[in-house]
Amino acid sequence: MKTYYAGAHPPSDVPSGYPCGRLARRAFLADLGLGFTGLALGAMLERGGIARASEAEEPHVGEAPDGRAQFAPRAKNVIWVFLSGGVSHLETFDPKPLLNQYAGKTYDETTLPNPQKLPIYRERSRSVVGFDREVISKIMPLQVGYQKRGGLGCEVSDWLPHLGGIVDDLCIVRSMYTTDNDHGAEFQFHTGRHVLDEQQPTIGSWISYGLGTLNENLPQFVFLGQYKDPRVKKDFEAHYLGPQHAGVELSLDPQNPLPFGVRPAGVLPVEQRNEFAFIDRLNRLAAAEYPDDDQLRARIRSYELAYRLQMSAPETLDLSRETQETQRLYGIDNDEATAVYGRRLLAARRLAERGVRFTLVYLSDYGEWDSHTNIKEFHARSCGRVDKPLAGLVSDLKRRGMLDETIVVCATEFGRTPALEVTSLNKAGTGRDHHPHGFTVWLAGGGLKRGHVHGATDELGFHAVEHPHYVTDIHATVLHLLGLDPRRLAVPGRQRLDMDFGRVIDDVLA
Amino acid sequence: MKICWIGCLLMAVCGMAHAEPPVDNSPAVRLADVYLRDVKPVLRRRCFSCHGALKQESDLRLDTAAFILRGGFDGPAVEPGNPAASRLIERVSATDPSQRMPPEGAPLTAPEVAAIAGWIKAGAITPDNEKPQDDPRSHWAFRAPVRPRVPADRAANPIDAFLAARQAAEGIEPLGEADKATLLRRVYLDLVGVPPTRDELRDFLADTAPAAYEKVVDRLLDSPRYGERWGRHWMDVWRYSDWYGRRAVPDVMNSYPHVWRWRDWIVRSLNEDKGYDRMIVEMLAADEASPGDDNNVVATGFLVRNWFKWNYENWMKDNVEHTSKAFLGLTMNCAHCHNHKYDPITQEEYFRFRAFFEPLELRQDRVAGRAGPGPFQKYVYAQSYGPIAAGLVRVFDEKLDAQTFMYVKGDSRNRMEGKPPVEPGVPNVLGGAEFLVTPVELPAEAYYPGLKPFIRAEEQANAAAELSEARQTLAKAQELVAAAERRLADLRAHAVQPVTAQNRPTREALVQAEQALLDARLTYRVDEQHTAQAAARGRALEARILADDALYRGAGDASGLAYAASQAEKQAAWEEAELRVRRAERTTVAAERKAATDAAGKPEVEKTQKELADARAAADAARGALAGTSNTYTALSPVYPARSTGRRLALARWIASPKNPLTARVAVNHIWLRHFGRALVETPANFGHSGKAPSHPELLDWLAVELMEQGWRMKAIHRLMVTSRAYRRRSNLGATEHPSLAKDRDNRFYWRANFRRMEAEVVRDSVLACAGELDTTLGGEELDPAQGLVSRRRTLYFASHGEGKMPFLDLFDAADVCDCYERASSVRPQQALALVNSDLTLANSRRLAEKVWTESRGVSDASSSQAQFVRCAFEQVLSRPGTEEELRASLDYLAQQEHDLAAAEPEQAGNAAQRARETLIHALFNHNDFVTIR
Repeated sequence: MKTYYAGAHPPSDVPSGYPCGRLARRAFLADLGLGFTGLALGAMLERGGIARASEAEEPHVGEAPDGRAQFAPRAKNVIWVFLSGGVSHLETFDPKPLLNQYAGKTYDETTLPNPQKLPIYRERSRSVVGFDREVISKIMPLQVGYQKRGGLGCEVSDWLPHLGGIVDDLCIVRSMYTTDNDHGAEFQFHTGRHVLDEQQPTIGSWISYGLGTLNENLPQFVFLGQYKDPRVKKDFEAHYLGPQHAGVELSLDPQNPLPFGVRPAGVLPVEQRNEFAFIDRLNRLAAAEYPDDDQLRARIRSYELAYRLQMSAPETLDLSRETQETQRLYGIDNDEATAVYGRRLLAARRLAERGVRFTLVYLSDYGEWDSHTNIKEFHARSCGRVDKPLAGLVSDLKRRGMLDETIVVCATEFGRTPALEVTSLNKAGTGRDHHPHGFTVWLAGGGLKRGHVHGATDELGFHAVEHPHYVTDIHATVLHLLGLDPRRLAVPGRQRLDMDFGRVIDDVLA
Repeated sequence: MKICWIGCLLMAVCGMAHAEPPVDNSPAVRLADVYLRDVKPVLRRRCFSCHGALKQESDLRLDTAAFILRGGFDGPAVEPGNPAASRLIERVSATDPSQRMPPEGAPLTAPEVAAIAGWIKAGAITPDNEKPQDDPRSHWAFRAPVRPRVPADRAANPIDAFLAARQAAEGIEPLGEADKATLLRRVYLDLVGVPPTRDELRDFLADTAPAAYEKVVDRLLDSPRYGERWGRHWMDVWRYSDWYGRRAVPDVMNSYPHVWRWRDWIVRSLNEDKGYDRMIVEMLAADEASPGDDNNVVATGFLVRNWFKWNYENWMKDNVEHTSKAFLGLTMNCAHCHNHKYDPITQEEYFRFRAFFEPLELRQDRVAGRAGPGPFQKYVYAQSYGPIAAGLVRVFDEKLDAQTFMYVKGDSRNRMEGKPPVEPGVPNVLGGAEFLVTPVELPAEAYYPGLKPFIRAEEQANAAAELSEARQTLAKAQELVAAAERRLADLRAHAVQPVTAQNRPTREALVQAEQALLDARLTYRVDEQHTAQAAARGRALEARILADDALYRGAGDASGLAYAASQAEKQAAWEEAELRVRRAERTTVAAERKAATDAAGKPEVEKTQKELADARAAADAARGALAGTSNTYTALSPVYPARSTGRRLALARWIASPKNPLTARVAVNHIWLRHFGRALVETPANFGHSGKAPSHPELLDWLAVELMEQGWRMKAIHRLMVTSRAYRRRSNLGATEHPSLAKDRDNRFYWRANFRRMEAEVVRDSVLACAGELDTTLGGEELDPAQGLVSRRRTLYFASHGEGKMPFLDLFDAADVCDCYERASSVRPQQALALVNSDLTLANSRRLAEKVWTESRGVSDASSSQAQFVRCAFEQVLSRPGTEEELRASLDYLAQQEHDLAAAEPEQAGNAAQRARETLIHALFNHNDFVTIR
């Protein structure tokens, strides 16, 4: 039977070669006396910046990682923001003035090659429903203006004035592509695989698996968000890495911060404290009977951790401890348009501050950005909801000195078509369709260039042509910054493909 | 949903490529050793799959130095002493990707190329006696198991004889038998998934008969709880899932509503000890093996579960992958895009396997006592389909001439040109050459469920009820007419009185009474016609039944009876059209009357008049239709093809044949895994070359043959396993070192029992069972997981699917519904929180504390009662007596807790002792020994 532990590996105070019952009983009991500190040992070493394995050493393919970075990391943790439904790259960070010139024309009527007739059109898209989605439509002009912003003059759309204000801190990748032309692409962005293929662990779970904890009182991988559609869970599942590496959903409701995380009504604190102590005593008695049972040892620790988790989660998520000024920075003050998402991002910062490795902030409703119609209205509204909170997050991290060791990623599952979407139901055409062939994500923070634009789509914003990147290139880059090589995280019996590992985008590294 | 990709493993290992040590040229290292150490491992990883025993691309093999020197079509692969002139070096270091080898994955690294070149430069010395790769066709798992001789041993149980032989060979001393309490809890949890009750524990401890344990085993195997416990195991392997897709919409996309009937079939089949061979046949082809048998056709839920509304290519893919993994331990899926890289399975054989499933479609049959679900709805782009309310879901062959084409790289958009469709078949290496498919003629009831007696009876009952209701309504209408007539006559009688008479009715009253009579007569006309229509419908139903009997069972003149049924339906249709006319008459009169006093009612009059005219025209048309000579009539259900291709039946019989080398081995391996905590073949879904070799090949084969010779009945195998000494061993070493530990710390040789954590379902069920609260109702529709912490039903009955499952179960590593050939077992703090803070443990601790205290109080004085309570609590929750130390700790705890509770809430001080006891039970549910099978 495969056994997994709260961390990726047996507690790090266990001498190598354990379990083997070699420890004398007295040594074992003494070791238990170390209690909780043992679990954090690896993490403390890591915090001290000790990277054990150099790249030159023989990598241990298939061996469970030991919780330490494999080479010198550039960052400690990640705030991964996801905007669901497909953000139009054309109306946010990737202006294409030619669309205005060709507005109303079909692709064939332009002087450019028809992007739907290029071989990469088919190679880079695969329908979930058993046939290709053919789009025969006319080019839609840009729905919003752009201005050069920041000291470097990077163009950002007028719907994102706050992000425009901090664009000098961002690293924008304009040449993303994915292969699912439907919303399975959202899960693909996190797993690296098309939904029709074998499912893989998500990026957050790989990081949880690969790195030791920085705070034994909190989960390694947190999900912050609300959703009605349970498929959103696919964004933070761990698949074969085991559920201990799945994202733990934390809620901003201080009464119920995590599942089963609250003392039941009517149970007194002293009562529960006594009981925890009693459970611990009973388990330690059993441990004398089963000196070589490492599951039991892990369980004793898991109760200690559980107790601390229950105590620390409400404090961590209590945003009232932040100043009014900070709350305003995230747009939490009185503005219902930005308050919800501002709170989520502020909570993410507090988690990062306390050492949570990976926080997936779901900064939209499921499918919110899916503007098949009225893109002008819907995208403007959605931009308004996230612009100030996101800019606030980056500014806040920066002024606290956290931006040097925290990576912020802001992603979406695909872009939107340069052409109008016209269907039998919607003949007027006021929106853009799904577009896996080219889209934009941005990153900021530890180890990344600032005020940098990488890659490009073609003149129509259709195909990612200059430095095209599949979604796992973002994974590889983030893992690299954390000091992990995905190829060295492989699990025996679970085969991964080149596409799963991705390639580090060297050009974005500072 | 899985896909295998080219050279998956090749890529997985290329990360370590740069780690190859540099060639050591010291004289101490013999040149042949350099080859074995530095060259051959690279070739094995990167080249053997195409240039080895399985395949010889360009007639070239690279699996021995001699083969390398011999070369292929293009001549020798190396020229000793001259790397620059060696084709091997030329190809692996080519800069043109179309020329470079290997064709997939990253190129060889510089140190790898250097190592090969160094070996060539030094003369390409070959080692002595180098053995080529084995022929993959001779792989152990592809040869039928033969019952091996049982090693001589005093043990009665052959399992122990095989294990003892290995232990002796390794010099390993096994542990003795576990204490009785531990053993009893272990075998209860293993066979029925709940711990023994205190009475059962005491009975067993008191039973000193030599066969006391065997008696318990027999009782447990006979318990219906056994089918539930092992049903859940097999549900993992067979990927049971309730429907999912977009439940919130709702939109059924994966699996299908009412697939739970398959789950109930699994539980039932195991409890009946149905042969595993029979179970395979029913899951793949019950509709062909025993057509018309609704109790067993639900077994095809195995295939229904893979259904994916949006893309049947994926349905086919999952059918191939999971049929071969579950029953054969074969990774057929790896041959979807290309020939298998490790096993002798070609891409064509993959598609031949797929062809078994090509004709498939789903069917939803009506079940007794529930309204029919109507015909199965085929997917239309962008439409959502909610779940059917009732029905029996199953598969059938719809496209009898379905063709299977091969796809380039497995991509359905790229059908292989010039390649004819493939015929259904199984891999040659497993005896596919002699494979034969025979179509199956189905009995009428199987392809036309409308013949089923319950459908007829229910339809007849419905018709009779409608007629009877119509008659009652008519009788009432008649009374109303009579009453209206009386009222009018009465008024008229009074109307002839002088104007001054007091009770002389007004003109308005007379008009109203006349109108009331008219209304009553109009209603009577409607109800009269409704009665006629209901009667005609009943007659039509009878005529359809007679015609069905003639058509499907040869009872009578089929065409004459079909004509009669057709006529009877037309008659009923006409009667119904007349009914609409009469209803329209009634509404028209009402509208006209209203318009007479209110001009605003005029449009309504026009509308009703138009409806009346339309109804009359329709009635005329319906009457006119009676003159037709059609023989068509409405069937009582959908009609499906009268023949099935027999493809799946042929496949199932081949899998379930004693000649199949894999089936029985894979099955006993799964059973072994779940009794012993470790499989004999540690890759239970992969018995091929890339899987693990069996730790005890002879034992595996012996058990496989035993299963088959026991008529594939599993209970015999369970009995054999759990009565073995190996199963009954201690798991604890106590405080002493044990010499076997140094030799076999992973317990590869089964010298001790493995401790295991309970599966998620067992945790929940055991909490309920310990508290005496478990509801033992068997089967039924999936339950709402939101009720999981308060419901008392067994866990396997709660919905579990691709969109979610009970969160409590998720924390304890419940099965991934898409892939779970072996459960994982984690230890993590959220499990502690779930056991500490959930309603499940809290409420059940309170109930149990109450029960145990009722038994223990008043034994003598208060402190003895308290001690008795603690003793009973240990037995009840942990199924073992507490140790002296534990009892002392518990009593200390009770005192402390009671004191602290009383101090914290003085007004509740009277309850403090009871509350403390509740928390003691609660703490025992949190004991590591509770969730652990020792």
